[in-house]
Amino acid sequence: MIRLLLLLVSLLAAGAVGVRAQHLLDWSPEEIKAVGQHGPWPPPPARDPSNKVSDTAAGIALGEYLFNEPRLSGDGRMSCATCHQAGREWSDGLAKARGAVELDRRTPSLWNIGYLHWFGWDGAGDSLWAQSIRPLLDPREMNGGPTRAGELLRSDAALACGYERAFGNTPGTDDERLLVDTAKALAAFQATLVSPRTPFDDFRDALVAGDRESASRYPLAAQRGLKLFVGEANCSLCHLGPRFTSGEFGDIGIPFFVRPGEVDPGRHGGLVRLAASPFNLLGKYNDDASGNNTRRTRHVQRQHTNFGEFRVPGLRQVGRGGPYMHNGSLATLEDVIRHYSEVSPDRLHSDGIPLVRPLGLTAGQGADLVAFLRSLDAEPVARPSPAPLCP
Amino acid sequence: MRLAAALLGVFLAPPAWADCPLDLGRGTGWVVFSDQYLMAFRPDPLRIEVGEPFALAVSVCTRRGGPAELLAVDANMPEHRHGMNYRAAIVAKGDGRFRAEGLLFHMPGRWEITFDVRAGDDSERLTHDIILK
Ligand code: HEC
Ligand code: HEC
Repeated sequence: MIRLLLLLVSLLAAGAVGVRAQHLLDWSPEEIKAVGQHGPWPPPPARDPSNKVSDTAAGIALGEYLFNEPRLSGDGRMSCATCHQAGREWSDGLAKARGAVELDRRTPSLWNIGYLHWFGWDGAGDSLWAQSIRPLLDPREMNGGPTRAGELLRSDAALACGYERAFGNTPGTDDERLLVDTAKALAAFQATLVSPRTPFDDFRDALVAGDRESASRYPLAAQRGLKLFVGEANCSLCHLGPRFTSGEFGDIGIPFFVRPGEVDPGRHGGLVRLAASPFNLLGKYNDDASGNNTRRTRHVQRQHTNFGEFRVPGLRQVGRGGPYMHNGSLATLEDVIRHYSEVSPDRLHSDGIPLVRPLGLTAGQGADLVAFLRSLDAEPVARPSPAPLCP
Repeated sequence: MRLAAALLGVFLAPPAWADCPLDLGRGTGWVVFSDQYLMAFRPDPLRIEVGEPFALAVSVCTRRGGPAELLAVDANMPEHRHGMNYRAAIVAKGDGRFRAEGLLFHMPGRWEITFDVRAGDDSERLTHDIILK
């Protein structure tokens, strides 16, 4: 025991010395500006004008109960939380999601989901609530059927009461309306999932403020990796802004064969599904009368190049998640960096200067990029269990 | 992320062509011209941000001050040879004024905006570069 303590003390001391010996790389004004664009963090709460219960306490409370509610599923055993687990960065740790059957795609993390505009790897959803309807109905996922949400809201006293608080009236008989309202409450809850501040955020703020002393606490390897990320490696072309995603779509050469002879069309298929959905923002369930939030949906244009494109994932908490990519085909961050280092140009469908090219990183550069990505991780604050809906 | 749109074109003060409706209000805008046409445009919102939809308020006329029409607006990244994933719609506002709605730049870098303009039987494509940082 004493030995262990001594060991711990000496390790801590070594750590402290390590910190003191570190210093700040030279950061040019352009680099500081580029780093500054990845903050500040956290952003103000997300509000979705298409969802009248978004950012309301009663909507969020109801949504949290529904998120954990297995009675929304066909067999009464699966809830959103089965795949989007709080303790697993709101994903499941699997390469491919497992519903009634194994799905073709990985369960994405729900961190910072309220700030996006397109949802799903293929962008088939144009609102968080529309995206939340799909798993309720999809026979491969919760398989709840179109009336289950309505029946549950009407029959369960606590949920009915929570519904009335959120929406201002008791659950009616229109099952499609109640399905949409269920999804809107689910969306209100999910929009509160904002990832914690990280070592990167402390560095970014210090660098922007010119506080060299605080900035020099950020490990040198992460500083070197960050320099590559915003510079030579050009990662921030797509992984941009405070959430490290443009929210749009790209093709980085991940093979998209699902089974021999079958491909995942990605964005191309997503746009077909978007147009066919009665729940898209052009439909009658959009609560925003101004129509301002329909611009993307109205003007988006399906193109041949959308084939095999997937949404650029945000990178906060990325090191705590994995496997990676839309199909979970890369197990570790090291594998991801190796992909970007060695990707074959033949896989990249681009005529001009490719957006992704084999970077040919040295082992040290690869390790630096991983160190940087890991500095986007932090331990989330544990969620208190939700208060009763109607005490 | 806030992004300033850098300007590569030439800014001209409008008075020389007083009949042309080049004033877009608020004293802001960029002017593009060719042998035949004069055009001014202003983004709305004024700061274009990556991943955020925007519109362009456009005024166009011939260099002689005659009427001209805006037919289409599009944009592409010449280095990467890809366009936008969005299709802009043109609304005529009368008096040589138009609004192109529904543009979105999904990546930082150089974007070339193209404006197809027409007067009578003559048509032409005007271009303007914007660098998004
Ligand atoms: C069987 C596992 C599973 C269950 C259950 C499940 N999801 Fe998902 N979720 C996924 C997968 C897989 C995707 C990716 C889907 C795609 O891209 O087509 C996804 C995507 C999403 C997205 C889009 C995320 C993004 O990054 O765009 C949201 C939001 C979401 N789910 C919410 C929910 C809600 C709400 C429920 C409960 C009603 C739910 N999910 C139930 C597996 C699941
Ligand atoms: C052309 C745009 C683009 C560029 C440039 C780019 N990425 Fe990506 N990145 C993507 C897309 C799109 C995906 C998802 C691809 C898929 O699932 O098929 C992705 C996935 C990832 C993932 C996996 C995240 C997850 O949750 O699965 C990581 C990590 C990552 N990128 C890091 C980087 C780094 C580091 C660089 C620079 C070396 C970089 N990216 C450059 C578009 C880009």
